[in-house]
Amino acid sequence: MLIYKQTLIGTVAALAALSLSSGAHAAPPAGQLLASQCAQCHGTNGNGPGFDELAGKPTNELYNELREMKYSQQIEGIMDRQARGYTDTQLRLIADYLAAQPGAGDD
Amino acid sequence: MHPLNRRQFLKMAGAASMLAALPRAVSAQTVAARVVVVGGGFGGATVAKYLRMWGGNVQVTLVDPSPAHISCVLSNLVVTGALPMTRITLGYTALAANHGVEILQGSAIAVDPAGGRVTIATATGNQVLDYDHLVLAPGIDFAPAPGIWNPDLTPHAWRAGTQTTVLKNQLAAMRSRDTFVMTVPKSPYRCPPGPYERACVVADYLKRKGRTGAKVIVLDANASIQAEPEAFTKAFNVTHKGWIEYVPNAAVQSVNSSTRSIVTTARTVNNAKVLNYIPNQVAGGIAASLGVNSSGYVPVNPLSYAIANYPDIHVIGDSCAVPASDGKAVPKSAHMANSEAKICADAILRSLRGEALDENIASSSACYSPITSKTASWLSTNFIYGDIFDAAGNVKGKGMHRVDIGEAPAAEVGGDSFEDMFTWADSLFADCFV
Repeated sequence: MLIYKQTLIGTVAALAALSLSSGAHAAPPAGQLLASQCAQCHGTNGNGPGFDELAGKPTNELYNELREMKYSQQIEGIMDRQARGYTDTQLRLIADYLAAQPGAGDD
Repeated sequence: MHPLNRRQFLKMAGAASMLAALPRAVSAQTVAARVVVVGGGFGGATVAKYLRMWGGNVQVTLVDPSPAHISCVLSNLVVTGALPMTRITLGYTALAANHGVEILQGSAIAVDPAGGRVTIATATGNQVLDYDHLVLAPGIDFAPAPGIWNPDLTPHAWRAGTQTTVLKNQLAAMRSRDTFVMTVPKSPYRCPPGPYERACVVADYLKRKGRTGAKVIVLDANASIQAEPEAFTKAFNVTHKGWIEYVPNAAVQSVNSSTRSIVTTARTVNNAKVLNYIPNQVAGGIAASLGVNSSGYVPVNPLSYAIANYPDIHVIGDSCAVPASDGKAVPKSAHMANSEAKICADAILRSLRGEALDENIASSSACYSPITSKTASWLSTNFIYGDIFDAAGNVKGKGMHRVDIGEAPAAEVGGDSFEDMFTWADSLFADCFV
Protein backbone atom coordinates (compact mmCIF):
# COMPACT_ATOMS: atom_id res chain seq x y z
CA MET A 1 0.00 0.00 0.00
CA LEU A 2 2.77 2.43 0.93
CA ILE A 3 4.62 1.70 -2.28
CA TYR A 4 1.45 2.15 -4.26
CA LYS A 5 0.83 5.48 -2.62
CA GLN A 6 4.33 6.75 -3.30
CA THR A 7 4.10 5.71 -6.92
CA LEU A 8 0.78 7.46 -7.18
CA ILE A 9 2.17 10.65 -5.68
CA GLY A 10 5.00 10.73 -8.19
CA THR A 11 2.67 10.12 -11.09
CA VAL A 12 0.24 12.71 -9.91
CA ALA A 13 2.89 15.37 -9.57
CA ALA A 14 4.15 14.71 -13.08
CA LEU A 15 0.69 14.68 -14.57
CA ALA A 16 -0.28 17.85 -12.73
CA ALA A 17 2.65 19.70 -14.27
CA LEU A 18 1.82 18.29 -17.69
CA SER A 19 -1.83 19.17 -17.61
CA LEU A 20 -1.16 22.67 -16.31
CA SER A 21 1.14 23.36 -19.24
CA SER A 22 -1.18 21.84 -21.83
CA GLY A 23 -4.27 23.60 -20.49
CA ALA A 24 -6.31 20.49 -21.21
CA HIS A 25 -9.19 21.63 -19.05
CA ALA A 26 -9.59 25.28 -19.87
CA ALA A 27 -12.80 27.12 -19.09
CA PRO A 28 -15.48 26.50 -21.73
CA PRO A 29 -15.83 28.94 -24.61
CA ALA A 30 -18.28 31.75 -23.84
CA GLY A 31 -21.67 30.98 -25.32
CA GLN A 32 -21.15 27.20 -25.37
CA LEU A 33 -23.86 26.43 -22.82
CA LEU A 34 -26.32 29.03 -24.12
CA ALA A 35 -25.83 27.88 -27.72
CA SER A 36 -26.39 24.27 -26.70
CA GLN A 37 -30.05 25.28 -26.21
CA CYS A 38 -30.30 25.54 -30.02
CA ALA A 39 -29.20 21.93 -30.51
CA GLN A 40 -32.55 20.29 -29.68
CA CYS A 41 -33.84 21.56 -33.05
CA HIS A 42 -30.68 22.36 -35.02
CA GLY A 43 -28.39 19.47 -34.07
CA THR A 44 -25.46 19.26 -31.67
CA ASN A 45 -23.27 22.36 -32.14
CA GLY A 46 -25.78 23.59 -34.74
CA ASN A 47 -24.63 20.89 -37.15
CA GLY A 48 -27.90 19.06 -37.77
CA PRO A 49 -29.89 16.96 -38.18
CA GLY A 50 -32.70 19.45 -37.79
CA PHE A 51 -33.94 22.79 -39.00
CA ASP A 52 -31.61 25.36 -40.63
CA GLU A 53 -27.97 24.49 -40.07
CA LEU A 54 -26.36 27.15 -37.91
CA ALA A 55 -22.74 26.02 -37.57
CA GLY A 56 -20.25 28.18 -39.41
CA LYS A 57 -22.72 30.87 -40.47
CA PRO A 58 -21.41 34.45 -40.20
CA THR A 59 -21.94 35.73 -36.67
CA ASN A 60 -23.63 38.97 -37.73
CA GLU A 61 -26.05 37.09 -39.95
CA LEU A 62 -27.03 34.81 -37.05
CA TYR A 63 -27.27 37.67 -34.58
CA ASN A 64 -29.33 39.88 -36.88
CA GLU A 65 -31.74 37.04 -37.76
CA LEU A 66 -32.18 36.17 -34.08
CA ARG A 67 -32.90 39.81 -33.21
CA GLU A 68 -35.29 40.16 -36.13
CA MET A 69 -37.27 37.18 -34.84
CA LYS A 70 -37.07 38.34 -31.23
CA TYR A 71 -38.51 41.76 -32.04
CA SER A 72 -40.99 40.61 -34.72
CA GLN A 73 -44.39 42.28 -34.22
CA GLN A 74 -46.34 39.22 -35.32
CA ILE A 75 -45.62 35.66 -34.21
CA GLU A 76 -45.40 33.35 -37.20
CA GLY A 77 -42.88 30.54 -36.74
CA ILE A 78 -41.79 28.90 -33.49
CA MET A 79 -38.44 30.76 -33.63
CA ASP A 80 -40.30 34.08 -33.26
CA ARG A 81 -41.07 32.77 -29.77
CA GLN A 82 -37.79 31.00 -28.94
CA ALA A 83 -35.72 34.10 -29.81
CA ARG A 84 -37.69 36.01 -27.15
CA GLY A 85 -36.16 33.72 -24.53
CA TYR A 86 -32.73 35.40 -24.50
CA THR A 87 -31.25 38.83 -23.80
CA ASP A 88 -29.53 40.57 -26.71
CA THR A 89 -26.20 39.93 -24.99
CA GLN A 90 -27.00 36.23 -24.81
CA LEU A 91 -28.00 36.21 -28.49
CA ARG A 92 -24.61 37.72 -29.35
CA LEU A 93 -22.80 35.02 -27.36
CA ILE A 94 -24.87 32.33 -29.10
CA ALA A 95 -24.16 33.77 -32.55
CA ASP A 96 -20.43 34.06 -31.87
CA TYR A 97 -20.22 30.47 -30.62
CA LEU A 98 -22.18 28.94 -33.50
CA ALA A 99 -20.28 30.95 -36.12
CA ALA A 100 -17.05 29.46 -34.80
CA GLN A 101 -18.29 25.86 -35.16
CA PRO A 102 -17.13 23.82 -38.14
CA GLY A 103 -20.00 23.32 -40.56
CA ALA A 104 -20.93 23.76 -44.18
CA GLY A 105 -23.25 26.61 -43.29
CA ASP A 106 -25.92 25.02 -45.48
CA ASP A 107 -29.59 25.73 -44.92
CA MET B 1 -10.02 -2.07 -14.02
CA HIS B 2 -10.65 1.64 -13.58
CA PRO B 3 -7.99 4.01 -12.35
CA LEU B 4 -8.76 5.42 -8.91
CA ASN B 5 -11.62 7.83 -9.17
CA ARG B 6 -11.29 11.35 -7.95
CA ARG B 7 -12.98 10.72 -4.63
CA GLN B 8 -10.76 7.72 -3.88
CA PHE B 9 -7.73 9.71 -4.93
CA LEU B 10 -8.62 12.60 -2.65
CA LYS B 11 -9.06 10.18 0.25
CA MET B 12 -5.54 8.85 -0.33
CA ALA B 13 -4.18 12.30 -0.99
CA GLY B 14 -5.53 13.45 2.33
CA ALA B 15 -2.93 11.23 4.00
CA ALA B 16 -0.06 13.03 2.31
CA SER B 17 0.36 16.63 3.40
CA MET B 18 2.17 17.61 0.24
CA LEU B 19 -0.66 16.41 -1.93
CA ALA B 20 -3.34 17.78 0.34
CA ALA B 21 -1.95 21.22 -0.44
CA LEU B 22 -2.54 20.70 -4.17
CA PRO B 23 -5.48 22.81 -5.35
CA ARG B 24 -8.64 20.84 -6.06
CA ALA B 25 -8.60 22.01 -9.68
CA VAL B 26 -5.16 20.54 -10.34
CA SER B 27 -5.95 17.20 -8.81
CA ALA B 28 -9.16 17.08 -10.89
CA GLN B 29 -7.08 17.24 -14.04
CA THR B 30 -4.93 14.31 -13.14
CA VAL B 31 -7.40 11.64 -12.00
CA ALA B 32 -10.49 10.97 -14.07
CA ALA B 33 -13.59 12.14 -12.26
CA ARG B 34 -16.33 9.56 -12.24
CA VAL B 35 -19.93 10.50 -12.93
CA VAL B 36 -22.72 7.96 -12.64
CA VAL B 37 -25.95 8.80 -14.47
CA VAL B 38 -29.07 6.88 -13.44
CA GLY B 39 -31.80 6.76 -16.08
CA GLY B 40 -31.29 6.76 -19.85
CA GLY B 41 -34.20 8.89 -20.98
CA PHE B 42 -33.83 12.26 -22.68
CA GLY B 43 -32.24 13.91 -19.63
CA GLY B 44 -29.89 11.09 -18.64
CA ALA B 45 -28.67 10.39 -22.18
CA THR B 46 -27.99 14.08 -22.78
CA VAL B 47 -26.06 14.67 -19.57
CA ALA B 48 -23.91 11.58 -20.27
CA LYS B 49 -23.15 12.71 -23.82
CA TYR B 50 -22.40 16.34 -22.97
CA LEU B 51 -20.22 15.47 -19.96
CA ARG B 52 -18.03 13.43 -22.29
CA MET B 53 -18.19 15.93 -25.17
CA TRP B 54 -17.34 18.93 -23.01
CA GLY B 55 -15.43 17.23 -20.23
CA GLY B 56 -12.35 15.51 -21.54
CA ASN B 57 -11.03 13.52 -18.59
CA VAL B 58 -14.38 12.41 -17.14
CA GLN B 59 -15.52 8.82 -16.87
CA VAL B 60 -19.28 8.51 -17.35
CA THR B 61 -21.43 5.44 -16.63
CA LEU B 62 -25.05 5.50 -17.80
CA VAL B 63 -27.33 3.11 -15.91
CA ASP B 64 -30.68 1.99 -17.29
CA PRO B 65 -32.72 -1.22 -16.93
CA SER B 66 -33.27 -1.41 -20.71
CA PRO B 67 -30.84 -1.60 -23.64
CA ALA B 68 -32.79 1.20 -25.35
CA HIS B 69 -35.06 4.06 -24.38
CA ILE B 70 -38.54 4.11 -25.88
CA SER B 71 -39.58 7.70 -26.43
CA CYS B 72 -42.84 9.16 -25.23
CA VAL B 73 -42.31 11.81 -27.90
CA LEU B 74 -44.29 10.66 -31.00
CA SER B 75 -45.66 7.67 -29.03
CA ASN B 76 -49.29 8.75 -29.54
CA LEU B 77 -48.69 8.09 -33.24
CA VAL B 78 -47.64 4.55 -32.34
CA VAL B 79 -50.94 4.20 -30.44
CA THR B 80 -52.84 5.05 -33.65
CA GLY B 81 -50.64 2.74 -35.75
CA ALA B 82 -49.21 5.61 -37.81
CA LEU B 83 -45.64 4.83 -36.67
CA PRO B 84 -43.93 1.56 -35.73
CA MET B 85 -42.36 1.13 -32.27
CA THR B 86 -38.91 1.04 -33.88
CA ARG B 87 -39.40 4.70 -34.87
CA ILE B 88 -39.35 5.74 -31.19
CA THR B 89 -36.80 3.19 -29.93
CA LEU B 90 -33.52 4.93 -29.12
CA GLY B 91 -30.56 2.71 -28.29
CA TYR B 92 -27.45 3.58 -26.29
CA THR B 93 -24.83 2.15 -28.64
CA ALA B 94 -24.11 5.53 -30.29
CA LEU B 95 -23.45 7.13 -26.89
CA ALA B 96 -20.86 4.43 -26.25
CA ALA B 97 -19.31 4.47 -29.74
CA ASN B 98 -19.32 8.23 -30.38
CA HIS B 99 -18.70 9.55 -26.88
CA GLY B 100 -17.18 6.77 -24.79
CA VAL B 101 -20.10 6.58 -22.37
CA GLU B 102 -20.05 3.30 -20.43
CA ILE B 103 -23.45 1.62 -20.45
CA LEU B 104 -24.54 -0.49 -17.49
CA GLN B 105 -27.84 -2.36 -17.72
CA GLY B 106 -29.41 -2.29 -14.29
CA SER B 107 -31.48 -0.33 -11.79
CA ALA B 108 -30.25 1.94 -9.02
CA ILE B 109 -31.67 0.65 -5.76
CA ALA B 110 -29.87 2.72 -3.11
CA VAL B 111 -27.79 5.87 -2.78
CA ASP B 112 -25.25 6.42 -0.01
CA PRO B 113 -24.85 10.22 -0.15
CA ALA B 114 -22.26 10.42 2.63
CA GLY B 115 -20.12 7.66 1.15
CA GLY B 116 -20.55 8.74 -2.47
CA ARG B 117 -21.76 5.35 -3.60
CA VAL B 118 -24.75 4.07 -5.52
CA THR B 119 -25.91 0.44 -5.61
CA ILE B 120 -27.03 -0.94 -8.95
CA ALA B 121 -29.03 -4.17 -9.26
CA THR B 122 -28.00 -6.02 -12.42
CA ALA B 123 -28.77 -9.42 -13.93
CA THR B 124 -25.53 -10.73 -12.42
CA GLY B 125 -26.01 -9.25 -8.95
CA ASN B 126 -25.56 -5.94 -7.21
CA GLN B 127 -22.75 -3.58 -8.10
CA VAL B 128 -21.66 -0.68 -5.92
CA LEU B 129 -20.34 2.27 -7.92
CA ASP B 130 -18.29 5.09 -6.42
CA TYR B 131 -19.02 8.50 -7.85
CA ASP B 132 -17.67 12.02 -7.72
CA HIS B 133 -21.00 13.23 -9.05
CA LEU B 134 -24.27 11.34 -9.32
CA VAL B 135 -27.01 12.44 -11.73
CA LEU B 136 -30.47 10.98 -11.18
CA ALA B 137 -32.82 11.13 -14.16
CA PRO B 138 -35.36 8.39 -13.45
CA GLY B 139 -38.38 10.18 -14.92
CA ILE B 140 -41.78 9.83 -13.28
CA ASP B 141 -43.39 7.36 -10.96
CA PHE B 142 -47.15 7.08 -10.52
CA ALA B 143 -48.89 8.17 -7.35
CA PRO B 144 -50.92 5.35 -5.77
CA ALA B 145 -54.20 4.80 -7.61
CA PRO B 146 -57.45 4.99 -5.64
CA GLY B 147 -59.35 1.75 -6.17
CA ILE B 148 -58.20 -1.37 -7.98
CA TRP B 149 -55.94 -0.49 -10.89
CA ASN B 150 -54.26 -3.01 -13.17
CA PRO B 151 -52.31 -1.25 -15.93
CA ASP B 152 -52.32 -4.42 -18.03
CA LEU B 153 -56.11 -4.06 -18.31
CA THR B 154 -56.48 -0.28 -18.23
CA PRO B 155 -53.16 1.10 -19.48
CA HIS B 156 -51.61 4.50 -18.77
CA ALA B 157 -49.25 4.41 -21.77
CA TRP B 158 -47.47 7.33 -20.07
CA ARG B 159 -44.16 5.46 -20.13
CA ALA B 160 -43.70 4.24 -23.69
CA GLY B 161 -43.12 0.61 -24.60
CA THR B 162 -45.31 -2.34 -23.69
CA GLN B 163 -47.99 0.00 -22.38
CA THR B 164 -48.10 1.80 -25.72
CA THR B 165 -48.81 -1.51 -27.45
CA VAL B 166 -51.55 -2.44 -24.95
CA LEU B 167 -53.36 0.84 -25.62
CA LYS B 168 -52.83 0.54 -29.37
CA ASN B 169 -54.43 -2.91 -29.43
CA GLN B 170 -57.36 -1.78 -27.30
CA LEU B 171 -57.98 1.20 -29.57
CA ALA B 172 -57.83 -1.02 -32.66
CA ALA B 173 -60.52 -3.27 -31.11
CA MET B 174 -62.98 -0.40 -30.67
CA ARG B 175 -66.19 -0.47 -32.71
CA SER B 176 -69.01 1.99 -33.41
CA ARG B 177 -70.63 3.56 -30.33
CA ASP B 178 -67.79 2.41 -28.07
CA THR B 179 -66.39 4.80 -25.47
CA PHE B 180 -62.71 5.65 -24.87
CA VAL B 181 -62.27 7.25 -21.44
CA MET B 182 -59.03 8.92 -20.44
CA THR B 183 -57.81 10.98 -17.50
CA VAL B 184 -55.60 14.04 -17.35
CA PRO B 185 -53.47 13.94 -14.17
CA LYS B 186 -53.33 16.81 -11.74
CA SER B 187 -50.49 19.21 -12.65
CA PRO B 188 -47.53 19.00 -12.52
CA TYR B 189 -47.25 15.92 -14.71
CA ARG B 190 -45.07 14.71 -17.62
CA CYS B 191 -45.76 16.51 -20.92
CA PRO B 192 -48.49 19.12 -20.29
CA PRO B 193 -49.99 18.97 -23.85
CA GLY B 194 -49.69 15.17 -24.07
CA PRO B 195 -53.12 14.06 -22.79
CA TYR B 196 -54.98 16.54 -25.02
CA GLU B 197 -52.85 15.45 -27.97
CA ARG B 198 -53.80 11.85 -27.25
CA ALA B 199 -57.52 12.69 -27.12
CA CYS B 200 -57.18 14.37 -30.52
CA VAL B 201 -55.35 11.57 -32.34
CA VAL B 202 -57.61 8.89 -30.82
CA ALA B 203 -60.73 10.81 -31.93
CA ASP B 204 -59.17 11.31 -35.35
CA TYR B 205 -58.44 7.58 -35.59
CA LEU B 206 -62.02 6.59 -34.64
CA LYS B 207 -63.40 9.06 -37.18
CA ARG B 208 -61.11 7.83 -39.97
CA LYS B 209 -62.04 4.21 -39.21
CA GLY B 210 -65.75 5.06 -39.45
CA ARG B 211 -66.54 4.15 -35.83
CA THR B 212 -69.85 6.01 -35.90
CA GLY B 213 -71.06 7.18 -32.51
CA ALA B 214 -67.80 6.31 -30.78
CA LYS B 215 -66.62 8.90 -28.30
CA VAL B 216 -63.56 10.08 -26.36
CA ILE B 217 -64.33 11.33 -22.84
CA VAL B 218 -61.51 13.40 -21.32
CA LEU B 219 -61.67 13.55 -17.50
CA ASP B 220 -59.33 16.39 -16.49
CA ALA B 221 -58.32 16.64 -12.83
CA ASN B 222 -57.46 20.27 -13.51
CA ALA B 223 -59.83 23.22 -13.89
CA SER B 224 -58.86 23.85 -17.50
CA ILE B 225 -56.72 22.69 -20.42
CA GLN B 226 -53.10 22.82 -19.18
CA ALA B 227 -51.27 23.58 -22.44
CA GLU B 228 -52.07 25.13 -25.82
CA PRO B 229 -55.60 26.10 -24.70
CA GLU B 230 -56.49 27.80 -28.01
CA ALA B 231 -55.37 24.95 -30.23
CA PHE B 232 -56.98 22.21 -28.13
CA THR B 233 -60.21 24.13 -27.47
CA LYS B 234 -60.60 24.50 -31.22
CA ALA B 235 -59.65 20.86 -31.78
CA PHE B 236 -62.24 19.67 -29.25
CA ASN B 237 -65.03 22.06 -30.30
CA VAL B 238 -64.50 22.32 -34.05
CA THR B 239 -62.06 19.82 -35.60
CA HIS B 240 -63.28 16.84 -33.54
CA LYS B 241 -66.74 18.22 -32.68
CA GLY B 242 -69.03 15.42 -31.57
CA TRP B 243 -66.14 12.98 -31.02
CA ILE B 244 -64.55 14.44 -27.87
CA GLU B 245 -66.26 15.37 -24.62
CA TYR B 246 -64.08 17.43 -22.29
CA VAL B 247 -64.85 17.35 -18.55
CA PRO B 248 -62.80 19.68 -16.28
CA ASN B 249 -62.45 19.43 -12.47
CA ALA B 250 -62.68 15.65 -12.66
CA ALA B 251 -60.36 14.47 -9.88
CA VAL B 252 -60.23 10.68 -9.77
CA GLN B 253 -61.86 9.11 -6.69
CA SER B 254 -61.75 5.45 -7.67
CA VAL B 255 -60.76 3.21 -10.54
CA ASN B 256 -61.88 -0.35 -11.27
CA SER B 257 -59.81 -1.98 -13.98
CA SER B 258 -61.85 -5.20 -14.21
CA THR B 259 -65.05 -3.31 -15.08
CA ARG B 260 -63.22 -0.41 -16.77
CA SER B 261 -65.11 2.03 -14.57
CA ILE B 262 -64.02 5.29 -13.02
CA VAL B 263 -65.49 7.68 -10.48
CA THR B 264 -64.39 11.32 -10.47
CA THR B 265 -65.55 14.50 -8.73
CA ALA B 266 -67.27 15.58 -11.95
CA ARG B 267 -68.36 12.40 -13.70
CA THR B 268 -68.68 8.65 -13.30
CA VAL B 269 -68.26 6.35 -16.29
CA ASN B 270 -69.00 2.62 -16.01
CA ASN B 271 -67.97 -0.11 -18.40
CA ALA B 272 -65.98 1.94 -20.87
CA LYS B 273 -64.61 0.03 -23.85
CA VAL B 274 -61.17 1.50 -23.14
CA LEU B 275 -60.10 3.11 -19.88
CA ASN B 276 -56.83 4.98 -20.38
CA TYR B 277 -56.16 5.92 -16.76
CA ILE B 278 -53.16 8.24 -16.55
CA PRO B 279 -52.45 8.58 -12.82
CA ASN B 280 -51.10 11.56 -10.94
CA GLN B 281 -47.32 11.62 -10.99
CA VAL B 282 -44.33 12.06 -8.69
CA ALA B 283 -40.53 11.86 -8.93
CA GLY B 284 -38.99 8.49 -9.81
CA GLY B 285 -38.38 6.43 -6.67
CA ILE B 286 -34.60 6.62 -6.46
CA ALA B 287 -34.72 10.43 -6.72
CA ALA B 288 -37.73 10.70 -4.42
CA SER B 289 -35.79 8.76 -1.77
CA LEU B 290 -33.59 11.85 -1.33
CA GLY B 291 -36.47 14.15 -0.38
CA VAL B 292 -39.46 15.64 -2.18
CA ASN B 293 -41.63 18.76 -2.00
CA SER B 294 -45.39 18.77 -1.37
CA SER B 295 -46.03 17.86 -5.04
CA GLY B 296 -43.77 14.82 -4.85
CA TYR B 297 -40.83 16.19 -6.87
CA VAL B 298 -37.23 16.83 -5.79
CA PRO B 299 -36.24 20.49 -5.22
CA VAL B 300 -32.96 21.40 -6.93
CA ASN B 301 -30.51 24.29 -7.21
CA PRO B 302 -31.36 25.97 -10.55
CA LEU B 303 -27.67 26.56 -11.39
CA SER B 304 -26.49 22.98 -10.93
CA TYR B 305 -29.57 20.78 -10.37
CA ALA B 306 -27.92 19.67 -7.13
CA ILE B 307 -30.17 18.69 -4.24
CA ALA B 308 -30.07 20.35 -0.82
CA ASN B 309 -27.02 19.43 1.29
CA TYR B 310 -25.38 17.29 -1.43
CA PRO B 311 -23.70 19.38 -4.16
CA ASP B 312 -22.50 16.14 -5.80
CA ILE B 313 -26.00 14.67 -6.29
CA HIS B 314 -28.09 16.13 -9.12
CA VAL B 315 -31.67 15.48 -10.21
CA ILE B 316 -32.76 16.50 -13.73
CA GLY B 317 -35.79 16.08 -15.96
CA ASP B 318 -39.28 15.06 -14.90
CA SER B 319 -38.21 14.20 -11.33
CA CYS B 320 -36.93 17.63 -10.36
CA ALA B 321 -38.67 20.76 -9.13
CA VAL B 322 -36.88 23.89 -10.36
CA PRO B 323 -37.54 27.08 -8.39
CA ALA B 324 -39.72 29.26 -10.62
CA SER B 325 -42.16 32.16 -10.41
CA ASP B 326 -45.64 31.32 -9.13
CA GLY B 327 -47.91 30.12 -11.93
CA LYS B 328 -44.97 29.88 -14.32
CA ALA B 329 -43.61 26.42 -13.58
CA VAL B 330 -40.87 24.78 -15.61
CA PRO B 331 -42.66 22.09 -17.66
CA LYS B 332 -41.73 18.40 -17.55
CA SER B 333 -40.85 17.57 -21.14
CA ALA B 334 -38.19 15.73 -23.15
CA HIS B 335 -36.91 18.98 -24.61
CA MET B 336 -36.67 20.57 -21.14
CA ALA B 337 -34.91 17.49 -19.73
CA ASN B 338 -32.31 17.89 -22.49
CA SER B 339 -32.02 21.58 -21.64
CA GLU B 340 -31.52 20.90 -17.93
CA ALA B 341 -29.01 18.13 -18.68
CA LYS B 342 -26.69 20.59 -20.44
CA ILE B 343 -26.86 23.08 -17.55
CA CYS B 344 -26.15 20.22 -15.15
CA ALA B 345 -23.23 18.90 -17.25
CA ASP B 346 -21.67 22.35 -17.45
CA ALA B 347 -22.10 22.85 -13.68
CA ILE B 348 -20.49 19.49 -12.86
CA LEU B 349 -17.49 20.24 -15.07
CA ARG B 350 -17.08 23.71 -13.56
CA SER B 351 -17.29 22.22 -10.10
CA LEU B 352 -14.61 19.64 -10.97
CA ARG B 353 -12.36 22.46 -12.17
CA GLY B 354 -13.03 24.43 -9.00
CA GLU B 355 -14.81 27.25 -10.86
CA ALA B 356 -17.89 29.21 -9.90
CA LEU B 357 -21.18 28.14 -11.48
CA ASP B 358 -22.39 30.00 -14.57
CA GLU B 359 -25.30 32.32 -13.78
CA ASN B 360 -25.81 33.47 -17.37
CA ILE B 361 -28.03 30.50 -18.19
CA ALA B 362 -31.29 29.87 -20.03
CA SER B 363 -33.52 26.85 -20.49
CA SER B 364 -36.22 26.12 -23.01
CA SER B 365 -38.86 23.78 -24.28
CA ALA B 366 -40.44 23.49 -27.69
CA CYS B 367 -42.69 20.74 -28.96
CA TYR B 368 -45.16 19.76 -31.63
CA SER B 369 -48.49 18.02 -31.00
CA PRO B 370 -50.46 16.17 -33.66
CA ILE B 371 -54.11 17.26 -33.84
CA THR B 372 -55.06 14.86 -36.66
CA SER B 373 -53.16 12.35 -38.82
CA LYS B 374 -51.99 15.24 -41.02
CA THR B 375 -51.90 18.36 -38.86
CA ALA B 376 -50.07 19.54 -35.75
CA SER B 377 -49.74 22.54 -33.44
CA TRP B 378 -46.73 23.70 -31.45
CA LEU B 379 -45.80 25.10 -28.04
CA SER B 380 -42.75 27.11 -27.01
CA THR B 381 -41.47 28.40 -23.67
CA ASN B 382 -38.26 29.94 -22.33
CA PHE B 383 -36.68 30.59 -18.94
CA ILE B 384 -33.74 32.75 -17.80
CA TYR B 385 -31.96 32.52 -14.46
CA GLY B 386 -32.63 35.45 -12.13
CA ASP B 387 -35.23 36.78 -9.73
CA ILE B 388 -38.41 34.77 -9.42
CA PHE B 389 -41.70 36.19 -8.17
CA ASP B 390 -44.68 35.24 -6.04
CA ALA B 391 -48.27 35.71 -7.19
CA ALA B 392 -48.29 39.29 -5.89
CA GLY B 393 -45.23 40.15 -7.96
CA ASN B 394 -42.75 40.27 -5.09
CA VAL B 395 -39.30 38.74 -5.49
CA LYS B 396 -39.25 35.41 -3.64
CA GLY B 397 -35.76 34.22 -4.55
CA LYS B 398 -33.60 33.12 -7.44
CA GLY B 399 -34.58 30.57 -10.03
CA MET B 400 -35.60 30.06 -13.63
CA HIS B 401 -38.02 32.85 -14.50
CA ARG B 402 -40.32 32.25 -17.45
CA VAL B 403 -39.70 35.02 -19.97
CA ASP B 404 -41.86 33.72 -22.80
CA ILE B 405 -44.56 31.18 -23.58
CA GLY B 406 -46.84 30.78 -26.54
CA GLU B 407 -48.59 28.33 -28.80
CA ALA B 408 -48.90 28.22 -32.56
CA PRO B 409 -51.23 30.91 -33.93
CA ALA B 410 -54.26 29.38 -35.68
CA ALA B 411 -52.70 29.77 -39.12
CA GLU B 412 -49.69 27.71 -37.99
CA VAL B 413 -51.77 24.70 -36.89
CA GLY B 414 -51.64 22.51 -39.97
CA GLY B 415 -49.68 20.34 -42.35
CA ASP B 416 -46.42 22.28 -42.27
CA SER B 417 -46.24 21.94 -38.50
CA PHE B 418 -46.97 18.22 -38.87
CA GLU B 419 -43.88 17.90 -41.09
CA ASP B 420 -41.85 20.10 -38.73
CA MET B 421 -42.79 17.77 -35.87
CA PHE B 422 -40.63 15.01 -37.37
CA THR B 423 -37.72 17.38 -38.03
CA TRP B 424 -37.90 18.49 -34.39
CA ALA B 425 -38.19 14.95 -33.01
CA ASP B 426 -35.31 13.61 -35.10
CA SER B 427 -33.09 16.52 -34.11
CA LEU B 428 -33.96 16.08 -30.43
CA PHE B 429 -33.43 12.31 -30.60
CA ALA B 430 -29.98 12.83 -32.16
CA ASP B 431 -28.91 15.58 -29.75
CA CYS B 432 -29.72 13.27 -26.84
CA PHE B 433 -28.78 9.79 -28.09
CA VAL B 434 -26.22 10.26 -30.91
